[in-house]
Amino acid sequence: MSLLRVYSLSKKFRTYGAMLPICLVLLVFVIIPLIVIFTRAIIIDGSLDFSLLIKTVTDANNIKTITNTLLLGVAVVICSTLLAMPLAFLTVRTQIANKKWLDIILMIPFMTPPYIASMGWILFTQRRGLFQQMLPATGEISEKFFSFWGIVLIMSLHLFPFILAIMKNALLNIGASLEESASVFGGKFFYRLRRVTLPLIGGNYALGALLVFIRAISEYGTPATLGKRIGFSVFVTEIHHNATISPINFGAAASLSSILILICMMVWFVQNHVTAKSTYTLVGGKGTRPLYVKLKGSKTIAAWIYIVVLLVIAVGIPYFAVAITSLIRLRGFGMMSGNYTTDHYINLFVDNPRASQAFRNSIFLAFFAATISAMLGTAVATIIHHTKSRSRKIFHVLGLMPDMLPNIVLVIGIMIFWNSIFHLVPLYNSIWIMVLAFVTLFLPITVQYVVSSYSQIGESLIWAGKVFGGQPAYIFRRITLPLLLRGIFVGWMMTFIISFRELVAASIISPPNTLVVSTFIMREFEQGSVSAGMAMAVVSVVFTTGSLVFINWFLLRGIDGMKS
Amino acid sequence: MCNKKSLPAILVFTLLLTGLTACIGQESVPTTPPVADPPATVAPTPAPTPPAPNQTPEDPDPAEANRFEGLTGVVYVYMPSPPALAEKLAEGFTDLTGVEVRTFIGTTGEILARLEAEAANPIADVVVLASWSDGLSLRAGGQLLSHTPNGAELLHPGLVDSQNTLFGMSASAVGVVYNTLMIPDLSSTHSTTWEQLADDDFRDELAFPCPERSGSASDFLSGFIFDKGESEGWATWETMAEYGMIVPGANAAALESVITGARSILVAGVDWNAYAAINRGEPINFFYPAEGTVVNPRPAMILQTSNNLENAKAFLDYMLTDEAQQMIADVHLIPGRSDVLSTTRPNFNEMTVLNTDWYWMMEHSTEISQRFNALMGTN
Repeated sequence: MSLLRVYSLSKKFRTYGAMLPICLVLLVFVIIPLIVIFTRAIIIDGSLDFSLLIKTVTDANNIKTITNTLLLGVAVVICSTLLAMPLAFLTVRTQIANKKWLDIILMIPFMTPPYIASMGWILFTQRRGLFQQMLPATGEISEKFFSFWGIVLIMSLHLFPFILAIMKNALLNIGASLEESASVFGGKFFYRLRRVTLPLIGGNYALGALLVFIRAISEYGTPATLGKRIGFSVFVTEIHHNATISPINFGAAASLSSILILICMMVWFVQNHVTAKSTYTLVGGKGTRPLYVKLKGSKTIAAWIYIVVLLVIAVGIPYFAVAITSLIRLRGFGMMSGNYTTDHYINLFVDNPRASQAFRNSIFLAFFAATISAMLGTAVATIIHHTKSRSRKIFHVLGLMPDMLPNIVLVIGIMIFWNSIFHLVPLYNSIWIMVLAFVTLFLPITVQYVVSSYSQIGESLIWAGKVFGGQPAYIFRRITLPLLLRGIFVGWMMTFIISFRELVAASIISPPNTLVVSTFIMREFEQGSVSAGMAMAVVSVVFTTGSLVFINWFLLRGIDGMKS
Repeated sequence: MCNKKSLPAILVFTLLLTGLTACIGQESVPTTPPVADPPATVAPTPAPTPPAPNQTPEDPDPAEANRFEGLTGVVYVYMPSPPALAEKLAEGFTDLTGVEVRTFIGTTGEILARLEAEAANPIADVVVLASWSDGLSLRAGGQLLSHTPNGAELLHPGLVDSQNTLFGMSASAVGVVYNTLMIPDLSSTHSTTWEQLADDDFRDELAFPCPERSGSASDFLSGFIFDKGESEGWATWETMAEYGMIVPGANAAALESVITGARSILVAGVDWNAYAAINRGEPINFFYPAEGTVVNPRPAMILQTSNNLENAKAFLDYMLTDEAQQMIADVHLIPGRSDVLSTTRPNFNEMTVLNTDWYWMMEHSTEISQRFNALMGTN
């Protein structure tokens, strides 16, 4: 009896012994920066004071900023939905579904950092830019791009793959039987669309729209480049301005951040409501048979024209502009024979110590951020998988929270917090504060991948291990971990790539003497040689794509080989 | 995805916690800039050692070699563009002393912001700004150490402030940059006054560097307003705003817009940047309007909070050596020392200047820059 109690106590102790440190880490990484922001916004000189917050909200400039941000978010959701909807239909319900390579190509816009795409568009459309040099007869029409809709287009082209992926999954789960039964009862195409398909994907769409909305209002790269040219300011650029341009005002940055968090909260409530109301069980024990429409003749051509035009706009134009600019010798003469050179690439690694240093810094940061968040994320996912009830939920939420909040908000919180405890923990102003920020921001990536890997491991495998006398540690090492490895590696890889080119955190908290690839590109674009910046952009895109392909081919094969 | 449901709950919890901390009181985040101390607490100035005349880098005087000996560690230097100059100075200083130089290169606005952000735990030892008035306001905030570096008496008169805290190691001025492919010869028609450029012919052709980022642009702007007076001064910018003047970014971005022809005229473009682009062969030209410009000394300063004081003092000494002054001339800046002359651009005494008052400009430049950007519709 007492032996049993000791056993259960030690088990309990083991569980909490593992949970407590992880819980503390999440508290320090995620919750405290948020508290610091709210504190900073409403506590002035040691007493509760809402005047700064109220002043911030009612300031005419900030009202403009708030409307700009919300308008942008809504417009991007609509525009990326319009871009994604035909594609989702084409790549699920027609013969185009067989073209698997299309799935990969359609991910390119999402993998392109928006600041690089935005710079490409600026170089392409500005006065006497690449477009006007190629087609002088068009006059000033390309300059129309320098507008609200230009920003919306760039951001939608970046974010539509999100909605596409979610809609595709939803459509795949709607079996032919549902539509066919509607059709048997005489439903015409649009009636079926309206009464069957759309309501069924509504819940998923609400989630996709929410993610796109939050990403759109959190995005820094496009408003900081194109937005700045036309005086279009949003929350993120305003916060960034308050935190980085003299006279700096952390109070205002914190107030704006608090408002941004509140907006995100409201959007979650709405989305939760919509999703809860329109969720249907579609995946049952019975397999579903996909519904195919065979496109014929002119319709096939129209479909392909749509896909090609979309790819040219989303991938072709920005990359063309970036690549050509990186090869131009004198910007004043533009595209002209004899005005091309590869010097900018050579200079990048021969003459320019800052460039090669930036590259090394980014690799260092990306490697450590990815490795630490792979470990931490796996730990969090393991806790989520093994614990029941309330604490599980809390971990899940904490693990995913950074993904649901604008990056800049957490970064400002991290900055203010670590700056204030510098005397205790001198992390601020070292490169490790950047590692910490990236781990915090990108932890959800690993958590998501590992949680989904866990859900694919059948209980029977664990039972089999137990039957053959395996201790829990042994079972974890020999059964669970090998099965998780794929998820962990994919998470690692994504974190590596995203950290490698992250911009907003790097531009706010990088210590002196520390440029990374993104800040180097931004700095050269704004304050140095645009061509050198674009050369670095090409190099970094080639590098990240290369490492993606490399890891996919070699490492993941190795892992899969280990399993069998 | 039932878990998303608890997200708001957690945030509400966070808000509650915030409220709790609020009740407990104490603001825990002291990142506000320090309260302005009266700048009276000035350390006694050490008597400058007499300079050895006619030093040359090839033949270093033993005394000169000595003052860079026995130093170790690091020095943090915050400097504005050009990056190449900051790198060369850092390299030269490290070669001479063995001290590692950690630089932060940014616009004047970014450097000032960085100093404010670091107020709780200062990092920088030496700060160089592209704006004399911003330097004066650091002094007014009690942030600067008074120390006269060796060789400071060789600086042009007016490049040392009254309290021996600011040393104009170099200087720049602003002028008009124009794209010669678009306007072949602006200098023969519009080079008398700045106001001439507020011309209906140049609708949607004008650009101006962001004064909140560029120190030279902000000093020019406040100097111009001081010289012309409030109403006449602002009238010029209001007309230009009406003609669609844009603010594409800090100096380089503004120059870039004229080089590529996105705009054809840059008002208040910084000169060294323009000379460098002309040297590269870009299709632009440059002039100073005849009525005068603002020559903007770029002060080097030691912070009171420096953690590497000896290295910081040595760095200022180094900036006054022949070697460093030549590096400054090489990037088309005006060397601060009166005995080092640039061969590629007008020197300090060859410039026509507007009537300026640095103290007035110090007081008003932030507000003027913000008003200007609001006028141009930039943030």
